[in-house]
Amino acid sequence: MIDSILKSIKKIPAFPATIQRVTSLLRNDDYSVTDVVNVIKYDQSIAANILKISNSAYFGVHQKIMTIHDAVVYLGQQQLVRAVQMAGVSKFYKKSGKGYVAQSRDLWEHSVAVALMSQILSRRIQGKEDSVLYTSALLHDIGKVIMGEYVYESFQQIFNQVKTKQCSFLEAEEEVIGINHAELGGRIAAHWNFPIEIKDAIAYHHRPDLLKKEDKTNAWLVYLSDQACLMFGIDGGVDGLAYKGLEEVMHFFDLKAVDLEKSFILLLDELEKAKDVIQII
Amino acid sequence: MSEIIVGISDLKVSSNPDDVVITYALGSCICVAVYDPKVRVGGLLHFMLPDSTLDVNKAKENPSMFADTGIPLLFKSCYMFGAEKKRMVVKVAGGASILDDTNYFRIGQKNITAMRKIFWRNNVLIDNEDTGKNCNRTVRLELKSGRCLIKSSDGTVKEL
Repeated sequence: MIDSILKSIKKIPAFPATIQRVTSLLRNDDYSVTDVVNVIKYDQSIAANILKISNSAYFGVHQKIMTIHDAVVYLGQQQLVRAVQMAGVSKFYKKSGKGYVAQSRDLWEHSVAVALMSQILSRRIQGKEDSVLYTSALLHDIGKVIMGEYVYESFQQIFNQVKTKQCSFLEAEEEVIGINHAELGGRIAAHWNFPIEIKDAIAYHHRPDLLKKEDKTNAWLVYLSDQACLMFGIDGGVDGLAYKGLEEVMHFFDLKAVDLEKSFILLLDELEKAKDVIQII
Repeated sequence: MSEIIVGISDLKVSSNPDDVVITYALGSCICVAVYDPKVRVGGLLHFMLPDSTLDVNKAKENPSMFADTGIPLLFKSCYMFGAEKKRMVVKVAGGASILDDTNYFRIGQKNITAMRKIFWRNNVLIDNEDTGKNCNRTVRLELKSGRCLIKSSDGTVKEL
């Protein structure tokens, strides 16, 4: 089974070159609006998604955005990176119906919620938003897109493991299928040539305690955002809340339970604003 | 039949026997389902957090967010349709936790405790419940019969 899974990674379409190019243009503070517009407008499916996303209340632009040029001008550097990432990533979640979730939109909604939560927590903990964290959060469950089919076939076995051994869904995946969705996601990120920081945050999003790196902030933040969304009820599917709680996370960030409760309230507001974003798939 | 959807931090009450009130995605949040069989009035509350002192302004704006402000509002909303406290059947679901919950973020447990305290103080008995564990739940309340169905993320469906 594991061989066929690893082969599927090679078959997954390349991460859209448009997204990579726009992101790298936007890394430069003196980016030219014309250059950015020119890259986006030749990729029709991405351009259409960017237009839809830009008009969502989440980005808070009051004018109606009619053209890609409007989007680039009104959204500005940081927000544009996000809209572009969302437009690109959503593509991969379109066909994730089987296995974990009843409909592909559920996994997309979970991914967007975790991305929003990652920024809420980053503002509270680090005093700023963080685009690398945002991308990691948006992609954290990308492994499920491939794993879904295998989980679908072995669901009963995985589920029995969780029940009888009282283990997490992650451990059961490993036992039954030979790899877990987080590690698989890390391999997909590597296949797409994402920076190592993003790859690690995806691969260790359920076990940041096992990551052997000096700076584990991103992995812990993705972990915490994901856990919070599971509790909030926006989960990744059949796995529900069957994941390990790591108490260290609270000490790592010096957080109290009320801090997280307050973040729930903020998430509820932001999700309301991001409704249109969730509906693009 | 029309379906009335209850969002997160939201409550809906109906007296139309053709309605089915539904709430999706209960993780650590809790759904309180109430029903008066005599007048066939009932509804669902989907609250998110235990205690409104966390954010008093939010609680004023949206009482359904918290157990202590949402539960009284659910009952009062049913009384407006002719329901009476003594006849109300009360069922609850949700309050799930992640595994090995080493006290670090027991929002599910805190929600369950807060809800029990409120019912205790107000002399309300819980007729049936499906709480805790680590699954996500969906609740359906049929106004015609008062039947309350719980669908869990692991695929099982049961009647409370």
